[in-house]
Amino acid sequence: MNSSATSHHHQGSHIPKHFTLVLTIGIVLLGVCAVASLLFGARVIRWNELIDGLFNPNIDSFGANVVRKRVSRTIFSLFCGAALGVSGALMQSVTRNPLADPSILGVNTGASLFVVCGIALFNITTANEYIWLALLGAGITAVFVFGIGSMGRGGATPIKLVLAGAATSAALSSLVSAILIPRAYAMDQMRFWQVGSVGSASWSSITTFIPFLLIGILIAVITAPALNALALGDEAASGLGVRTGVLRLVAALGGVILCGAATALAGPIGFIGLLSTHVIRLMLGPDLRYVIPMSALAGAIILTLSDVCGRLIGNTGEVEVGIVTAFIGAPILILLAIKSKVRSL
Amino acid sequence: MKPTHVFQAEQLVAGYDHKTIIQGIDLVIPSNKISIIIGANGCGKSTLLKTLARLIKPISGKITLDGKAIGKIPPKQLARIVGLLPQSPIVPEGISVADLVGRGRFPHQTLLRGWTKKDSEAVAEAMAIMNITEFANHNIDELSGGQRQRVWIAMALAQQTDILFLDEPTTFLDITYQVEILDLLTDLNRKHGTTIVMVLHDINLSARYADHIFALDKGKLVTEGEPSKVITSDMVKHIFGLDCTVIEDPLSGSPLVVPKGRYHIGS
Repeated sequence: MNSSATSHHHQGSHIPKHFTLVLTIGIVLLGVCAVASLLFGARVIRWNELIDGLFNPNIDSFGANVVRKRVSRTIFSLFCGAALGVSGALMQSVTRNPLADPSILGVNTGASLFVVCGIALFNITTANEYIWLALLGAGITAVFVFGIGSMGRGGATPIKLVLAGAATSAALSSLVSAILIPRAYAMDQMRFWQVGSVGSASWSSITTFIPFLLIGILIAVITAPALNALALGDEAASGLGVRTGVLRLVAALGGVILCGAATALAGPIGFIGLLSTHVIRLMLGPDLRYVIPMSALAGAIILTLSDVCGRLIGNTGEVEVGIVTAFIGAPILILLAIKSKVRSL
Repeated sequence: MKPTHVFQAEQLVAGYDHKTIIQGIDLVIPSNKISIIIGANGCGKSTLLKTLARLIKPISGKITLDGKAIGKIPPKQLARIVGLLPQSPIVPEGISVADLVGRGRFPHQTLLRGWTKKDSEAVAEAMAIMNITEFANHNIDELSGGQRQRVWIAMALAQQTDILFLDEPTTFLDITYQVEILDLLTDLNRKHGTTIVMVLHDINLSARYADHIFALDKGKLVTEGEPSKVITSDMVKHIFGLDCTVIEDPLSGSPLVVPKGRYHIGS
């Protein structure tokens, strides 16, 4: 072909219009959230205590120690938020459903049920062991919910998937309660975890989590261009040379790994995937090569911010981050559901 | 000009699940020409196109490109030679025209080599051929049906394949836009030598624009060839069950089907 016919400036691969701006704001917000997470809580830290805690390992004041304890919590919540954000983006792409999110599809709850079973019935105690249970639970639930949601006419429509996810989630979380309530020791261990909390995160949670985070994000980045093709429909994607079945399987696996690992360590935290991807799409458009990494950033910000809010609301104690994200996420889900229903009519 | 390819199907049997629709078809796609598949509703013309474009795995028989079974060619490599525009692709919410056209470049990209100047040129050229350059930065939602269809065809053109399959590219469009789309596809064929294979509903537009007609009935290829040889009142009666008169199109000289019906005949 004669390719010199009309060569304009870079067309078709546009870096989204406001990308640099959004990225800059995102990074600044990330920093602000991280600092806020170190400063705020039952005891509000002063700046000099923050500096001591971070940079002067010799100073052993109470404030400095509080900061040191909050460092692992902060890093963990950033990682966990990133994982949930990317997981949401992957699940939305695989199901081609704007309402998909690990919590809405019940995948989180499936992971929790398996973890709770492991702890209560098989005396599994370390995160290294039950992270695999969480992945298994997340995987089985994902297949189950997608199976139910695809039944009947029209295949897996957004609303049917959400209903299947909500019903499954309700059933599984009542099972979680049924297993926990009669077992006082497990109940104690799991009480905060069960609603989703980053409060107990330690350095060992972080090191357990990192390999899963990296694998999941790697899968997401590698599959992003093919997922862009899949967004045009299965037939168009096949025409562009995508093996749609393999792609769906790999991308779903990435989503399950990310949310399963996050759930194993922090409990079922909801709506992060939904919130972060929609905020990013609204600002940058639908190109997944940008939406996926930026959802990681947005997820990290939203989760950390929610955790800080939970600590502030709780006054002397704290409100678990899972409760905070559910409070913010539920109304947004309803809004999106209304919008997507209108579109599909 | 696009190179010549031998794309053929032998003893092709295909369908969905256990329902056989294509009942043993042999055909060779004329290279660098426009072929149109016609037939009544449910005759399997769309299934045939989808099977040739590898959306459906054949039950038996084989489809080859230059002697090689298409199932054996890696999908991305095949997608650089054979493109497909399905009947109703999905528009991602909020996507711009240039970005949608750019998605046609997927088979040319690898993990390590992202977007290149060649990709930009292919997109610009595809948009120029389809006359949509002025809309490049518009959101697809702002466009009319005819403009949208031009964007989709541009997406398929950006793929820069030698062979292009289109599944009813003019459905849901007003007559003006149907003619416009077919003219643009003919431009593409005449200027670049792209082999075009499409399913069309309108027999008269098919007669006008096809170099070669494949006429299907009940999953079998009934007849094929130049429109002037193939489209006769007997053929129309056979595959559509319609009584008609075939006259010469006063503008193009191609056959023109005039249906009989039960009313308004004679005076």
